[in-house]
Amino acid sequence: MNCEICQLKELDVEHFEIREVLRCILHTILFHRALGLVRPKDIDLELFEITYVQCGDVELERKTDEKIEQFIDRAEKHPNKKNQICLSFYEVKNKQPTWFTNKVERLYWEQWYINLNVAQHQKGHSGKSTSSKIVVDPGAEERTARRAALEASLRDVLFQIIRFVNEKKDHIPPVPNLEGVSFPYEITISSSSDSAFGMEMFKRMLQTGNPTMLS
Amino acid sequence: MDLHSYPHGEHGRFEQIFNQFLLKSLHIILDSRVPMNRPPSRGGEIRKSDRWFNLVLGDRPAAMDSLSFWNRSLMEPMVIDIILVQESRYSLSEHDSRSTLATEMPAETVIERWVVQYEHQRSMAPQIGDAFYKKTYKKSIILLRSVYSMLRLLPAYKAFRKQQSFKQNCGFEINYKVCSFGSPLLRSEEESMKNYSFIPIDAQQGCLSVSVMYRKDLSDFNLDSCVSHPIEIISDYVGSPLTDPMRAFPCTSSEKGHSISFQTRGRQSAPPSPFQPPHSWSSGLQRELSSQQSQPYSASPPLYRSPYEYSSSPTEAYIQRNQNQRFPANQKAPCDEILSPPFSSSPSPSPPTKNVIPFHNRRHPETAPMSIPHPMIARSPRYLSPNLSDPNRNSLPPLSPRNTKHDSSSHESPSGIRSIRRLDSTRTGEMSNTPTNAGPKLSRDSKEDSGRFSSLLSSSSSPRVGLSRTSSRLSFQDDFGDCDCPFIVDDVDPPDNQTSSNLVARNCSEVSSLAPSTMKKSQDAAVGALVHMLKTAPPLRQESCYYNTQSSKTEFEGEVGAASEFFKPRKASDAFEELKVYRQMKDLLLSKSAAHLVSKEKTEF
Repeated sequence: MNCEICQLKELDVEHFEIREVLRCILHTILFHRALGLVRPKDIDLELFEITYVQCGDVELERKTDEKIEQFIDRAEKHPNKKNQICLSFYEVKNKQPTWFTNKVERLYWEQWYINLNVAQHQKGHSGKSTSSKIVVDPGAEERTARRAALEASLRDVLFQIIRFVNEKKDHIPPVPNLEGVSFPYEITISSSSDSAFGMEMFKRMLQTGNPTMLS
Repeated sequence: MDLHSYPHGEHGRFEQIFNQFLLKSLHIILDSRVPMNRPPSRGGEIRKSDRWFNLVLGDRPAAMDSLSFWNRSLMEPMVIDIILVQESRYSLSEHDSRSTLATEMPAETVIERWVVQYEHQRSMAPQIGDAFYKKTYKKSIILLRSVYSMLRLLPAYKAFRKQQSFKQNCGFEINYKVCSFGSPLLRSEEESMKNYSFIPIDAQQGCLSVSVMYRKDLSDFNLDSCVSHPIEIISDYVGSPLTDPMRAFPCTSSEKGHSISFQTRGRQSAPPSPFQPPHSWSSGLQRELSSQQSQPYSASPPLYRSPYEYSSSPTEAYIQRNQNQRFPANQKAPCDEILSPPFSSSPSPSPPTKNVIPFHNRRHPETAPMSIPHPMIARSPRYLSPNLSDPNRNSLPPLSPRNTKHDSSSHESPSGIRSIRRLDSTRTGEMSNTPTNAGPKLSRDSKEDSGRFSSLLSSSSSPRVGLSRTSSRLSFQDDFGDCDCPFIVDDVDPPDNQTSSNLVARNCSEVSSLAPSTMKKSQDAAVGALVHMLKTAPPLRQESCYYNTQSSKTEFEGEVGAASEFFKPRKASDAFEELKVYRQMKDLLLSKSAAHLVSKEKTEF
């Protein structure tokens, strides 16, 4: 089975926007992969005029928020780096136990890469005005424009998810359970300079057993 | 909506899937575009229609019941037009200078057109088998999820939300039309619209497809010029108990109490609208009776701040009501058989369907449905009865709480009365923990609040001791309680045996002089007596002005010591000691009352 990979459009976000953006994207993907009985829950973003849909699974929300917090911490520790969060769906295959190993093999069949370029905290304007008494924030217009651009980009990302989900359906394995997200998944975080990330990616590529690679 | 029996075999199953797909997609689209009045869904109940495609949407719009799906053939597409209706003024006689009549004509614009159809392909070999239709079913689940998400991303969603928020004041309406063919659009309209087609799903001998044509930009319609909700004067506003605890609430029925609490924060005052006229499949434009519209979904408070300035969408209200619902446990089954359509019963051998589709098997204590306790009531036992968890507290012998006799026997064992009062108040607190409870309970709560707050006003130090003193005096006020007089009973921490007995004796003597007279007074007089008692209550702090001059320094020091001891964790031995104190108090009261009576008799003679 092939592993379908979707690289979502890169977004330029600020620190305070990370949480909302990631929640929106992750839950949109997970909503399309929760094939069990769901009660869709509409969530309005506070920073943007966008509504996305959640599954209504409390456990899922908790896990997602946990990962998002980890991402935010990592982004703060590694500023000026492109940070990536990967949502992977896999199948669990029990390997034949040997003398040395009794591991459970994970076969990844879909991976979503969310790329965020976190802007550094901008220092406040010094407030030096020459002659005008009215203090005008010159960055306000720039922030508004940036916010509008980010909203449009986020909307594009959501369209991209819907398009991908509709185009690729044949690779989806049988549904193991109907609780919450129907398929086992994992969320991993990395940054661009993380060497371990590349190794992790390489490991996964080997695990998926892409026939073109093995042949 | 029950569907008629389907043909047997594979074709029947696929036809059922397709028809349910049409129903579901129509339900999703109408829910996301046209504010409709629907009866509130039965919370938590999963209908068969919800099980289709594993998407719980709640009650279907009433209009869908009248759509004659069963008369349609599989080949006819379902075209759903979402129409924006705005009033536009124009002058009838522009060239006539004498009269310039301006009339308002509604301008209708198709802002979205959804087409759901089965495209038959003769060249395609018929796909048969259980595995195939299950695969089709799985893909259709994903497709409907995409449709659901897409509906929230398109520009018309913003218009829908605005209309939902502002109702009649938004200057436009959204209507819909369902047909088996789409009316031709103007070229200018087509140019302003964009097309998006979802990837079709392979079906039995063709494919199932969904496409949408939508206007890219709705700024031409000036939808942002919505008038905010007009100010409504709530004539029977009674305020919130949180802001005005001393205010007595009227004893009304439970429904009225419920409506009062909602009106303090809700936006609606109109009753739910009646049933809407049914819509036919091939009829023309149907209009919502805007005058009868209300906000059945704003009963639940907004979940979050929104840029749309709306209360709640129907789905959100539904979800909020049913958020913490848990479905029965999952039964593990082979992989592909889990995701199977809930076909209707038919003579043909159909695949096994699960009667119960599980949702959650985990318990989340943090999300279990919880009643929101009334903050005052919830707070008070903790503040006033720190030893509520002490099991020995409840082991004190109770006394009759409603003793109308004017003798000191009614003052026996205040601890017993306190325990009864506490039990009563705790029960009352538990029962009346939401604003939606019955009116009489509200009135009781108000009294409880008033009692509590009046004691707080008088006590200048630890509220616990002050309140306990208050509650002990209030326990003698029979005017408060043919009801269960939910004055919070506190656990008094007796300082020393002697000091406590002196204090209680003094208090009881004062109360005993008051009790015969206050019983006959009205409720207001009882409140006045209460205030009087509070004023004359010995303070806890050294600088308290209510400190009784008759008390000695040792008594005062003992009291302060008691206050400090009060915060120590209490044990059973403390309880027993307190019991002893109470018994001493009882004896003292009895002796004093007897002495008083004797002295009275003597004076008379």
